[in-house]
Amino acid sequence: MDPLMPPPVRRISLDAPPTVVEPPANGNGAGAGAGRARAGAEPSPHAVERMRCEGVTIAYGPKIAVNRVDLSIRQGEVLALIGPSGCGKTTLLRSLNRLTELTPSAARGGRIALDGEDLDAIEVTELRTRVSMVFQQPNPFPMSVFDNVAYALREGASRRPRKPALAEPVERALRRAGLWDEVKDNLEHPALRLSGGQQQRLCIARSLAAQPEVLLMDEPCSALDPVSTTTIERLILELREQIAVVIVTHNLQQAQRVADRVAFMYLGELVEQGTSDEIFRAPRAPRTRDYVGGAFG
Amino acid sequence: MRNAALAAKLRPRAAGRRLTRPERAELWLGALAVGLLALIAGMLVFVFRQAWPSFAHNGLSWFLPGGNANTQLADVYHSPADPAHYVYTLRAWPILYGTLLSTGLAVLFALPFSLLCALFMVEFAPPGIARLMTPTVRFLAAVPSVVYGLIGILVLAPWINDHLVSASFKLDVKPIVPIGGGGLLLATLILTVMIVPIMIAINADALRSVPRSWLEGSAALGVNRWRTWWKIGVRTARPAIAAGVVLATARALGEAIMLAMVSGSFIFAPNPLDGLNMLLEPIQPLAATIVVGAEGLSVKPYGQTLYAFAAVLLVSSMFLSIAGWAARQPMRRHGVR
Repeated sequence: MDPLMPPPVRRISLDAPPTVVEPPANGNGAGAGAGRARAGAEPSPHAVERMRCEGVTIAYGPKIAVNRVDLSIRQGEVLALIGPSGCGKTTLLRSLNRLTELTPSAARGGRIALDGEDLDAIEVTELRTRVSMVFQQPNPFPMSVFDNVAYALREGASRRPRKPALAEPVERALRRAGLWDEVKDNLEHPALRLSGGQQQRLCIARSLAAQPEVLLMDEPCSALDPVSTTTIERLILELREQIAVVIVTHNLQQAQRVADRVAFMYLGELVEQGTSDEIFRAPRAPRTRDYVGGAFG
Repeated sequence: MRNAALAAKLRPRAAGRRLTRPERAELWLGALAVGLLALIAGMLVFVFRQAWPSFAHNGLSWFLPGGNANTQLADVYHSPADPAHYVYTLRAWPILYGTLLSTGLAVLFALPFSLLCALFMVEFAPPGIARLMTPTVRFLAAVPSVVYGLIGILVLAPWINDHLVSASFKLDVKPIVPIGGGGLLLATLILTVMIVPIMIAINADALRSVPRSWLEGSAALGVNRWRTWWKIGVRTARPAIAAGVVLATARALGEAIMLAMVSGSFIFAPNPLDGLNMLLEPIQPLAATIVVGAEGLSVKPYGQTLYAFAAVLLVSSMFLSIAGWAARQPMRRHGVR
């Protein structure tokens, strides 16, 4: 496919009713390496490529963190980046909305495109509203719940919107993140007083409020309890039809539960990518087999 | 065994048990802390006792305008030797007003300037410049204020006198107040120069300590650097910035020698009706008044009047600390520090 030609984009508004894929409760969902515990295991036939990495190399000074990675990120499916610590997953993820540029020593080579348009050609603030990021540690701002969610809306507007005008989009974002029922009685509650899981869902709501097209998640559940993790994983499955989701995870079971496609990285290189079933059931590369099989990690 | 240790701990000290070393250390530290508190309390009581005759004689009108404070102070200084005929009459409003004006204006100018400087240093400056700026600011903060005063009185005051003061204005006010370059403008200017470095240093530290993750979170939402620092950085650093303002205000309030040199040293309340010329009129802030009058301490009522100024300074610094504490409260609600 010609990388300069933008692919036909199927934009689904976030306002549309979510097409929920509820995982059926079948019995084989427990334990490592067990079968995929949800319906919709097949990648969506409607998946559309939104972002494309070609020969992406990222270096911190002399140290190469990501080495010539080719990757396609598609709307309609969830892409999981897996691999041991320090393999460059997070760096690759951060380069997708140019957050690596906040690190002075980082340099990038290769080409990343969003809808066929080079990332460097897109104004960085616009890029980051379209490609939003949720971090490993929940980082809600020291404001009320409402102000956190409204933050991007207020900053994105050319004229400061009035609070009543924000109430509806804020509620929608909180509902989508599955936090509404817990905070609706007191939206002025300080965000930093929420529990860890609530904080992370608030951060997701904050990202969703700006209606991003791609959502990057950097180990969003690593600091969370199992219940919050389940909530967020369900949320990811709901989102994938409307937003291209990339999730970095240490947790292989989580990758199996949520991902349609999996990319395995090792020492900065993309060793193998494929559908979830390919990677977990029939990995081609020996290193993938070792990692997925638990030989190292 | 444990019970025995517990019993030893619970046994009253009066029973003649030797104190362990940690216990003795605790006692010493406690005594030191209490001693410090007692010292401060003692100083407060002493100053207020000394100042009392001046306040008692004038009542609340001590704080109000009325008459010429210069001649009033001279009358106090020339009181008869008989304690029954001591003169205390003083309307200190021009002094308080001059202090308020010079300190307030200096802090008002210094705050945005120092905030922007600190922001530049922390975020926008190229690394080389930032490395150079930090020690420079530290050095400027450590320059003794007398040096500023000297430059002010030898260079800036004559310049202002030659270039900014119009002859007609000088003639107009001559019967009431001498104009000679030193005055509100110069005092405010040099005070600002004096407090800006401290405020830059404090603000830069405050901005540096804003959690990276919040700034990154804001950047990841597509908010540009400037707005990110304004909405998240400065907002989060507000308590520390407020603390810096308090510290700088305290320093400006307590500045004596330098202000005595450049403020015109004539007790006068600059008149807003004079328009911009108001800035050229002399003032004499509280601390400067104490310094100027220091040689008259042998005259008892005069000394007591100076103590009254000191008492006002003490009370205002107390209010300043309270204000600094209050400024921290809204962020505490959000769990910041």
